[in-house]
Amino acid sequence: MLQIKNLHARLKDGREILKGIDLTVEAGEVHAIMGPNGSGKSTLAAVLAGRDGYEVTEGSVTYQGRDLLAMPADERAREGVFLAFQYPVEIPGVNNMYFLRAALNAGRRHRGEPELDAGQFLRAVRGKLKLLEISEDLMQRAVNVGFSGGEKKRNEIFQMAMLEPRLAILDETDSGLDIDALRLVARGVNGLRAPDRAIVLITHYQRLLDHIEPDRVHVLQDGRLVQSGDKSLAAELERTGYGAVDAA
Amino acid sequence: MSTLVDFPVRPEARPYLDAFAQSTGEPEWLARFRRQGLDRFARQGFPTRRSENWRYLDLQPLERQPLLPGTPGRDLPLPTELLLEGAALRLVFVDACFSPVLSGLSGLPEGVWLGSMRAALAERRELVSTIAVDSGAEHPFAALNAALFADGFVLDIAQGVTLDKPIEIVHLVGDAKASLHTRSLVNLGAGSRATIIETYAGTGRYWRNDFAAWRLGEGAALARVALVEESDEAVHLGEVSATLGAKAKLDGFVLLLGGGTVRHEASVALTGDHAECGINGAFVVAGREEANIVTSIDHAALGGTTSELIKGVAAGRGHGAFQGKITVREGAQQTDARQTSRNLILGRRAVIDTKPELEILADDVKCAHGASVGALDEAALFYLRARGIPSDEARRLLVEGFLREPVEGIADPAIRDHLLRRLSLRLARLEDE
Repeated sequence: MLQIKNLHARLKDGREILKGIDLTVEAGEVHAIMGPNGSGKSTLAAVLAGRDGYEVTEGSVTYQGRDLLAMPADERAREGVFLAFQYPVEIPGVNNMYFLRAALNAGRRHRGEPELDAGQFLRAVRGKLKLLEISEDLMQRAVNVGFSGGEKKRNEIFQMAMLEPRLAILDETDSGLDIDALRLVARGVNGLRAPDRAIVLITHYQRLLDHIEPDRVHVLQDGRLVQSGDKSLAAELERTGYGAVDAA
Repeated sequence: MSTLVDFPVRPEARPYLDAFAQSTGEPEWLARFRRQGLDRFARQGFPTRRSENWRYLDLQPLERQPLLPGTPGRDLPLPTELLLEGAALRLVFVDACFSPVLSGLSGLPEGVWLGSMRAALAERRELVSTIAVDSGAEHPFAALNAALFADGFVLDIAQGVTLDKPIEIVHLVGDAKASLHTRSLVNLGAGSRATIIETYAGTGRYWRNDFAAWRLGEGAALARVALVEESDEAVHLGEVSATLGAKAKLDGFVLLLGGGTVRHEASVALTGDHAECGINGAFVVAGREEANIVTSIDHAALGGTTSELIKGVAAGRGHGAFQGKITVREGAQQTDARQTSRNLILGRRAVIDTKPELEILADDVKCAHGASVGALDEAALFYLRARGIPSDEARRLLVEGFLREPVEGIADPAIRDHLLRRLSLRLARLEDE
């Protein structure tokens, strides 16, 4: 599904953030990437999603056999790459439902499927709103405007559920969530685990992994993956902290 | 007729003086009013950009190539997409002249007089003669309008009468190669209410010069929406002069979506205590279009409120401007006035000017204003693209989202939806320009 080879990336100001990442994620797998602040977690997510402001200086990213880095951000999304934002953006004036239908239909057009009309879309929305306990009136507001922190994060997972990506990257989706919201988000993510879908969880803390069990855990430190293991690695990190990895 | 004039005439005014023909069969006061208007225009001529109130508009093309008043045109087919669906009361003007064939005025309730200015001159003589007072005295084109107006509409509502159905006024022009002068009057008796949508559209080259006087009696409420979708060769100058009595409420809205050179000016005087003035609007300019929204709100009584939100978008080589002045006079204590101008620039050659202005002569008032000009929010653009929405569509969504805010404040749902549709269609075309 996703092969990252020796990926180096820097900011426009020249600071190198990713210093040679190697990672392979297969369909059906859930990977967790953990690391302290400033280790490059969000940069990795941004580079994979195609955000401007980063320059890849070395290495490659192959997604479903194609060069991911050559695709514009919107094409990546239509090809099935989804980024759940750490800080979902507020967009005044753009209605949530309208936005999501535009996104869904952009993907459907891309795949040669018929677009959903307003009625079909509404039916599709209703089932998934329930799953994440999002009220329908939230959908009638502008995108993320006036949403609480938890609502914004649940909205990200709701969008993911609607768009049914092949590769989902969740950038610190657990940050700022209380335990109830965390459970809801985890339920949403677990509901999306599928043999043809890969999920990459980027997180600072282990607690999300209590609810979503990863197949692999990687530790990102200073722009490199310094350690990989199964889910027990996360628990170990929680006990010893990132400092111990550093020393190792 | 220029022999009547014994003072220096501005050269650019000369062709209009020469074209002025004394109408026959009009009452003496009107003939006098027209001559006074012509004299004022002859003295003033076209405003230049040195005049503060006109600094953002280029009228030189019109000065160089005068557009004289034309002869009444034939009836045109009504552009159905521009019409408000289900409007029961409709007045249509073609090339500034009332078209009874295209209009529909059935079912007017008791206490409501609605018709053309020409009909009002016969049937509502006393009321209409007061337009000689509301003449927009300092405004050169209002003066020219006084001299040359062909027709217009009059709405006169008696005390306490509410007109639920919106009135639709459609101003059409068919490649007139002329100037079209319309003059209208809205007179709302105490406690009466009305909603008006005026649509301006046309093809080819023309100069529209529209003037309206609105008078709201105590506790009267007027909601008026102007939709401007003129031809890209057209010059559209609209001027409104409104007076609000005590506790009167004005909701003015203007949506400027097309026209080579468009200027919409509203002057509102709050003369009675606790009057409410809402002026909102939006403009979109692209290509080489110019659009100006100019407002001047005069708080002359106690406890008045003004709420003003104007949003603008400029693409291509478009030039948009907002000039808004709020004056709070000495006695106008407890005035609460808010004015906001927000603008979006798309492309390196588009220009937007914004100039909010407060003049406060009372000490117990709340006044706030804010203005901004910026580019599309890159973070929002990426968010939409990260969900698969192609760049062009994402941009359009953001621009539309930006402009929807003031439109969504329109109270009448049919008018609101109509304007949102027109806005959407306009923005869909923006990408090609």
